[in-house]
Amino acid sequence: MSEKLRDENKSHSDDHVVGKPFPRCDAKDKAFGNTKYADDYFLPGMLYGKVLRSEYAAAEILSIDPKKAEKLSGVRAVMTAKDIPHNETITRFGQTHTVGGFEGLYRILADKKVRFMGEGVALVAADTQAIADEAVKLIQVNYKPLAGVFDPIEALKPEAYKVGEETSNLVCYYKVRQGNIKEGFASSDVIVENTYRVPAQDHAYIEPEAGLAWIDDDGVVTIQVCTQVIEHFREIAEVLGLPYNKVRVKGTWIGGGFGGKEDITVETYLALLTWKTKKPVKLVYSREESIICHGKRHPYVMKYKTGATRDGKLMALEAKLLSDAGAYVYLSPWVLLYSTVGAAGPYKIPHIKIDARTVLTNNTFSSAFRGFGVPQVCFAYESQMDELAGRLNLSPLELRRRNYLKKGDATATGYVLEHYAAFPETAEKALAALGEKSKSKNPAVKIGQGIGSSMTSYGRMVFLHDTSRSYVGMEMDGGVTVRCGVQDLGGGQASSLTQIAAEVLGVSMDDVRVYVADTALTPIAGTTTATRQLYMSGNATSMAAQEVRKRLLEKAGEILQSKPEGLELRNRKVRMKEDPERSVSLKNVVKACASAGIPLFHIAQFNAPSRELVDFKKGQGQVFPDFAFGTHAAEVAVDVETGKIGVLKLVACFDVGKAINPQAVEGQLEGGTIQGMGYALLEDVILEKGMTRTPSFSEYLIPTALDVADVRCILLESEDGIGPFGAKGVGEPSLVSAAPALVNAVKDAVGTRIFDLPLTPEKILNAQKKR
Amino acid sequence: MNEMEYARPKSLKEMDRIVGAAKRPVKFIAGGTNVIPDIRAGALSSKLLVDLSGLKELNFVKEEKNEIAIGALTTISNIAASRVIREKAPLLFYAAGQLGSPLTRNRATIGGNLAYASPAADTAPPLLALEAVVHTRRRLGRERKIPIDQFFLGPNKTRLAKDEIITKITFSKPKDPSKGSYLKLGLRNAMTISVLSIAVLLETNGNVCRKARIALGAVAPTPMRAYRIEKKFAGRAIDRKNIEESSLLIAEEISPISDIRASAEYRKRVTSVLFQRAIQEASRGGKP
Amino acid sequence: MKTYSIHLLLNGNPVRVDVAAQETLLDTLRNKLWATEVKNGCGKGDCGCCAVLLDGKAVNSCLTLAVQADGKDVTTLKGLGNEENPHPLQESFIQNGAIQCGFCTPGMIISAKSLLDENPKPSREQIREAISGNLCRCTGYKKIIEAISDAAPKGQLSD
Repeated sequence: MSEKLRDENKSHSDDHVVGKPFPRCDAKDKAFGNTKYADDYFLPGMLYGKVLRSEYAAAEILSIDPKKAEKLSGVRAVMTAKDIPHNETITRFGQTHTVGGFEGLYRILADKKVRFMGEGVALVAADTQAIADEAVKLIQVNYKPLAGVFDPIEALKPEAYKVGEETSNLVCYYKVRQGNIKEGFASSDVIVENTYRVPAQDHAYIEPEAGLAWIDDDGVVTIQVCTQVIEHFREIAEVLGLPYNKVRVKGTWIGGGFGGKEDITVETYLALLTWKTKKPVKLVYSREESIICHGKRHPYVMKYKTGATRDGKLMALEAKLLSDAGAYVYLSPWVLLYSTVGAAGPYKIPHIKIDARTVLTNNTFSSAFRGFGVPQVCFAYESQMDELAGRLNLSPLELRRRNYLKKGDATATGYVLEHYAAFPETAEKALAALGEKSKSKNPAVKIGQGIGSSMTSYGRMVFLHDTSRSYVGMEMDGGVTVRCGVQDLGGGQASSLTQIAAEVLGVSMDDVRVYVADTALTPIAGTTTATRQLYMSGNATSMAAQEVRKRLLEKAGEILQSKPEGLELRNRKVRMKEDPERSVSLKNVVKACASAGIPLFHIAQFNAPSRELVDFKKGQGQVFPDFAFGTHAAEVAVDVETGKIGVLKLVACFDVGKAINPQAVEGQLEGGTIQGMGYALLEDVILEKGMTRTPSFSEYLIPTALDVADVRCILLESEDGIGPFGAKGVGEPSLVSAAPALVNAVKDAVGTRIFDLPLTPEKILNAQKKR
Repeated sequence: MNEMEYARPKSLKEMDRIVGAAKRPVKFIAGGTNVIPDIRAGALSSKLLVDLSGLKELNFVKEEKNEIAIGALTTISNIAASRVIREKAPLLFYAAGQLGSPLTRNRATIGGNLAYASPAADTAPPLLALEAVVHTRRRLGRERKIPIDQFFLGPNKTRLAKDEIITKITFSKPKDPSKGSYLKLGLRNAMTISVLSIAVLLETNGNVCRKARIALGAVAPTPMRAYRIEKKFAGRAIDRKNIEESSLLIAEEISPISDIRASAEYRKRVTSVLFQRAIQEASRGGKP
Repeated sequence: MKTYSIHLLLNGNPVRVDVAAQETLLDTLRNKLWATEVKNGCGKGDCGCCAVLLDGKAVNSCLTLAVQADGKDVTTLKGLGNEENPHPLQESFIQNGAIQCGFCTPGMIISAKSLLDENPKPSREQIREAISGNLCRCTGYKKIIEAISDAAPKGQLSD
């Protein structure tokens, strides 16, 4: 299916829209301050919501007394678990396709027990925000603190405190077995064994979670919210005990998502409060609430043992992964699966033994974050590669050259790569772009360079039977309307569709109007997650546009007395290829179709190629549709007396398949690299017995303009992606290998390796001391 | 519920009247960059906010024959743009440029920075090294001068009485202002609270140090002077041996805490390092 | 609750509004004056997306009391330009791909305007410094710096 798509797209494009760095369709409104985000909407009579949150990480709730709060003048509703029709439901990952066994309990408000500090315990709606804030303070909750467990290693022990209602804190356990691990190490001349640790990372989108909900004139509970997944409307309906079509989610332009707005955040609270009060309700998280209460990147402990022969051939990998799922399951099983499948990296290793577990603790729950389990293992496997290179007296690049996967090779899970893998190309180009190592003028400052390669999936796991739909239609004046359920989190998801539609239908981007993210009115396009939108909705939009184009060209052929194959559609005109003077305006073709009763709109559904669920006993089978291959390179300056790290140069070299919009692709690579830099050097959600010690941007530090180097992007276009025009998705891949490149550069600079992120100045000094 | 009141006097006399007649406890506010977050955090309620930013006469940088005077309401960005400060007290100039962010610097005042008395207050180490005097005023014109090394009592605690405001800060013009340095170590290159900061001002005669003033921030309950180290330098050569010896001793002068930013151990280690660098930079004549 | 009547110029238009003592300028702008282009990212001056020009100086509106803006000139992103009459910075941000999610953009452009008012030909380092109080999570800052550099009046650009 996708092969055909690519050919059709190629045949009539000299790519006069696609492939050009046109400004995105949403840029103007954002530049002029016209774009409305979730907190920018107001309705008359609107109430303000507030969530009362648990002060304990683990406790029994003995009683909740809302009376004082209810009596406060201006309070319109106080709700606790008992007021919720269905306080518990299942978090689903497959949206329309249910895949068994990995669902997690999603509880709206804590009932008898709290599992993490910040868990929602009660809801309030009031006439003003100040009254709502005051009211939550008046709700009397009687807690009985419990011991709790905060270390995932402890949580695995049989005697550990049980976070949930099950008899074990273990959420799931995956294995990958390939070859014979004993043999593998026996035939290794060098073995490197290390334990790597990574902390929780906060998405730190500049827009906090927010939404507005109301009941419309037809009794439909409508939630307008910044979300990456409008399809949560089904879960919201289940919570309220309503039919699915009585709940509507309208997604807003999102001020950053990165996976943090992938789970339900404010939606169910809003739905409940509006359903209870029958009035519009707004709910906005404070920054502290966002940092304390929403899901984080999974902290991991990773034990890696890698063996290689004297001439640098990898022979064996034994990896034990343990991730901290936090208080609720959410997407932990899926994140773990990504880690497990990606734990060996883009390398050929004949003997593999991977054991991966994720466990509940009383820390803030962990869930999706750009990279989804792959940045963690990439840090481990790329650090291992450099350690091995050092032991083998090979350069980091050379060791990788001898082991990179190629098209036709089998990965750790036995899947044979069907598309071009841009190695060692991306590594060579990235390293070359760093240039000569800068010279340090200061004896206390050492310069180092490093690389990190990754193979990161785009598109959802193939057993989820992913689909996306898009509507493309012509207006009577030759303009184009696209309706697609895509959620735009700032990565140009909506704009790509206008660029694709414009390309196929021979108009400019300005002629295309896109409507997005409305469960009632736009065809469902699936989640904005898993780097899937360009691939899925791009293909669906392209297909829909192709169908409309086909009808236009048939009619134009009648008008111009030509076969449709002899025509081209460009610049709002249909012309004969062989005789460009013979043409008809697009507008007139549209009119002619309208007169003839030919519908000039089409809803297309793109189905991703699907497979059955992978076998979890041995972890063999295809999990992902395709991968983006790339390498980051970094040059750092380390002050060995203070430990401070300065980033001098950053390079991101990726095979992007086809750059639909080169400027937008660079934007993704630049942003992803810096977010990875933050992960490597600055960011740490510090939890002490479940209490967040970094609740604001004063304590949780993300890079400022003075901390970063300009990222140099090198885009390779193999056109061998499975997205429209041969594109690959790079939203997540752009982050994954950034941290390892920096860590390897630091090792190159100072000769010591740090095994846990972030690389704080203190850790650098301590490591120096040990030498 | 938190209900506050507000007044913005246009003169000191009017301020006296307002403070005198106040039925609620008074909280002075100027730039607001510390007070407003405290209000938001619920640390201040039911107060009368008396806004000093209307007192235009307290907003100045004046160079006299022997001293420099800075009005308490002078914004940090004005100090960071002042030619007088850059030339005559560069260590204060550099500190001002690293406080907060460009946005907060446009509102934050030097008086506010001192009155809030964070142990990491950015302007404190340079002012300590300059041996500044804090001029204050209570109601009905009662004025006093507090040497800055007696001004801070503890984290967020000063000698200021409840009705007392800072009017200006003065210091004698350093003999050789270029023999000063200011270094700040933070986890990030902007908008960062100091892990440690150090200000050094030297009076030298060739290679001999006649007088050294060394001040530190974020390594004790208050910004502080390292008097014992200063004594070690007085009259001695600024040479490698001396600097190294002193750098080992300075760790004993300070009492840093361990917090989410750094451990006490780390702070001690880098204090020695930054001390050496600050002395070297100051003796060379400041930044190149 | 006691309120105070304040007068200010909002993007050149005189407005009068009643505010509480502790109400921030950010709250007033967004909730009473409908200037929702001024964003709330953290509420305490750590992110810069609430930046406005107050009597020409870029400040965090979340760290300014509304009462402190009485009698002053407040300029938001919308006061710099619009589609019919765009400010060079707005044009430059659009053309350079400096806007992804766009949430940091209003504050970022305000800080940039403040810089260019004082220093029409800033170096890249000076640009970084000027926007060091504005966090961006999407772009990595590179295209923002290029956009600001591009918007500077043409001539010799120092580096």
